[in-house]
Amino acid sequence: MSDRPDDPKNNRGKGFSRRDFLKTSAVTGAIAGAGPTVFTRNAWAEREAIGNYPVKGKAVTFGFNVPQTGAYADEGADELRAYKLAVKHLNNGGGMLETMAPNELTGQGVLGKKVEYVSGDTQTDPDAARTSARRMIERDKVIMWGGGSSSATAIAQQYLAQEMGVVYMCGLTHSNDTTGKDRRRYGFRHFFNAYMSGKALGPVLADAYGTDRRAYHLTADYTWGHTQYDSIKQFTEAEGWTTVNNIMTPLGSSDYSQFLTQVLNSDADVLVLNHYGQDMVNSLTQAVQFGMRDMQKNGKDMQIVVPLYSRLMAQGAGAENIDGVFGSTAWNWALEDEGSQAFTKTFEAEYGFPPSQAAQTCYVQTLLYADACERAGTFYPPEVIKALEDHRITGIGPGEAHYRKGDHQCFKDMLVVQGKGPAEKEGEYDLLKIYQQVPREDVTYPVDTFPGKLGPYRPA
Amino acid sequence: MSDPGDTNALRGEVLPVAIFAAIALTMPLWFPWIGGYSGLDTKILIFVIFVLGFDLLLGFTGYLSFGHAAFFGTSAYTTGLTLLHFSAEIIPAMLMSVLVTFVLALLIGLLLTKRTGIYFAILTLAFASMLYRAALSIFSDWTGGDNGLTGLPTPVLFGQPLHDTPMFLLVAAFAILGFWIALRIARSPFGLMLRAIKSNQERLAYTGVDVSLYKLWGFIVSGLYGGVAGSLMVIYEPYVATHFLHWTMSGEVVIMAVIGGVGTLIGPMIGAGFMMYFENVASAWIGEQWLLVLGLLFVLIMMYMPGGFMEGGRRLRAWFRHRRGIADAPTPEENDTHG
Repeated sequence: MSDRPDDPKNNRGKGFSRRDFLKTSAVTGAIAGAGPTVFTRNAWAEREAIGNYPVKGKAVTFGFNVPQTGAYADEGADELRAYKLAVKHLNNGGGMLETMAPNELTGQGVLGKKVEYVSGDTQTDPDAARTSARRMIERDKVIMWGGGSSSATAIAQQYLAQEMGVVYMCGLTHSNDTTGKDRRRYGFRHFFNAYMSGKALGPVLADAYGTDRRAYHLTADYTWGHTQYDSIKQFTEAEGWTTVNNIMTPLGSSDYSQFLTQVLNSDADVLVLNHYGQDMVNSLTQAVQFGMRDMQKNGKDMQIVVPLYSRLMAQGAGAENIDGVFGSTAWNWALEDEGSQAFTKTFEAEYGFPPSQAAQTCYVQTLLYADACERAGTFYPPEVIKALEDHRITGIGPGEAHYRKGDHQCFKDMLVVQGKGPAEKEGEYDLLKIYQQVPREDVTYPVDTFPGKLGPYRPA
Repeated sequence: MSDPGDTNALRGEVLPVAIFAAIALTMPLWFPWIGGYSGLDTKILIFVIFVLGFDLLLGFTGYLSFGHAAFFGTSAYTTGLTLLHFSAEIIPAMLMSVLVTFVLALLIGLLLTKRTGIYFAILTLAFASMLYRAALSIFSDWTGGDNGLTGLPTPVLFGQPLHDTPMFLLVAAFAILGFWIALRIARSPFGLMLRAIKSNQERLAYTGVDVSLYKLWGFIVSGLYGGVAGSLMVIYEPYVATHFLHWTMSGEVVIMAVIGGVGTLIGPMIGAGFMMYFENVASAWIGEQWLLVLGLLFVLIMMYMPGGFMEGGRRLRAWFRHRRGIADAPTPEENDTHG
């Protein structure tokens, strides 16, 4: 909260202080012929002010915008824990700072500035998310922000990021649109997407349940649900399955009985739940109450599939309900690699329980952003974005990871998992069994699979 | 302040508008002192426009609309779609929005202004909910469904992108103009008719006045305010949220008007500022339970100060001057709290 009178508040009436003028005139040597225009923010030099660059003072502020209310609030709470931990490690070292390679982070802040943070509530609602993000950008002067646990909020915030010229590191978002048709230069996604889930799950499902299955989908009615339904349909049909029907259900529903009745009355023998968070907990629990896990259809055992899994959801639904249910997940705390272990250990030491995949993605995104600033040697957004693009890095999870330059999608290994039943699990948080670690080469797809444009490095 | 005729005109229009303009235009200077930030002031003034229109309907004509989001949201979508498919220039987008809002208000008005009281409130709510559902289902190819309408270009005015200060000034100009027009309406024969409708429309009808026509026009003017506000909202924030059509949006504007003081024009504007401030600034101090605090506050105001902030202000003044009795007509004096 710098309320210094010489703060150039986004060109509001106040011009340059003498010191600012001296600072910028020092770099005017490098002018690339960009003359000052009236409406772009203080366009003086090549390194003109973009978003909240330049950073003033001894500290730099990150913004963490997570759902604290709504259907994905559990995810949001865990994301915030991870963010706090990331800030702690950036300022004091520890965690993945010791396993990441290559690594420019010093554990003494970023570019010599101490990292501070502010947080906001997206309410699992795109409009609220943007309002909250705007507040962080305009009042708290964040240099970047991250978070969100719904693709609708992530996409809405990516557009805001592009308008404002502030980098946004998406939290948990699994829709293909985030790095597909709605990809933005100022947005990055470390999490995997529905297309990858489908590609990884298709063969596994055919292997386990046969190739002549009839699937009925229930789908959360927004961008993520739509694209996940499309992808799962595409990859299961490629294995020979038939898609009987799909019902779009409103986000945040608590009662799925009317939809489940329709599933029962159909000739489908697999139920695919394209739900997440509290929605998945409710729909899966009710499907089990309807007896769907103990019935025969078409002479086969009826099966339930949850394409996007998380440990928090598994906990909510209970071990008995998820026993043997297949799904995919980005990351699991039981992974043995150095980076995952370093993160899990520090997180457990801090909070007393293991982190979720949402926590891991948010933690890693924050570190990667900070590392990119160190490598670029500046907070100037276009340079930081270039430093993030196509930079390969290990020690932040299994295998190697990088953000593809063409769409800002991160490619890394992912997991196909199965729910553990009460007999199998060894403790409260041991709910998912890693069935297969899918190498990133297997789920990488051509950049033009989804049409979309990233937009310019410098916002309009 | 010597000649009574002059002071009347002065107190009636010029002075309040001048005071409001001064407060609005200096907002960027004093607003940060109370924890505000640039951008929020713009948003507050957008809601000031919205709530002014709402107050013309509720405060003057006595019709409680629970579906005012219909105008705000429809206009927002119209602006968004025009920016997206036609041109990033805001003038065609705004004109288009005003036109569409006018048609919508005319249609809804023709259907509903025959009803009164609770029936009217419920029907407006039903209409707005229908539009909301339609935006999410049958029109979702155009409206972007649940994601809202994304990917809008940066709005420009004569080729200049609208950011911070120009954007704020644009909205402030509309707010000042809107306030002035509302005052003119309040003091015009038309406004008198609206107030007469509120007090007793049967008696008015017996005197030979075409009541339904006045009601319809009152409704349309009110809707147009909502339309202008909705259009400006998308120009300020190039994104259309489904929330703009949601009933909670309608509820918000009702609360703003009521806590400010219905029928006073100034009260609802203060109410709008208060709500927005509470939602965006105070909520950060209070934390997650800010809605609960707001609810409590609302209940307390309704119980002990049914006239809202304006009544509170009047009571304070009366208490200060040690005299009893409150004038019927609200004295348009601002009692804004500066930080």
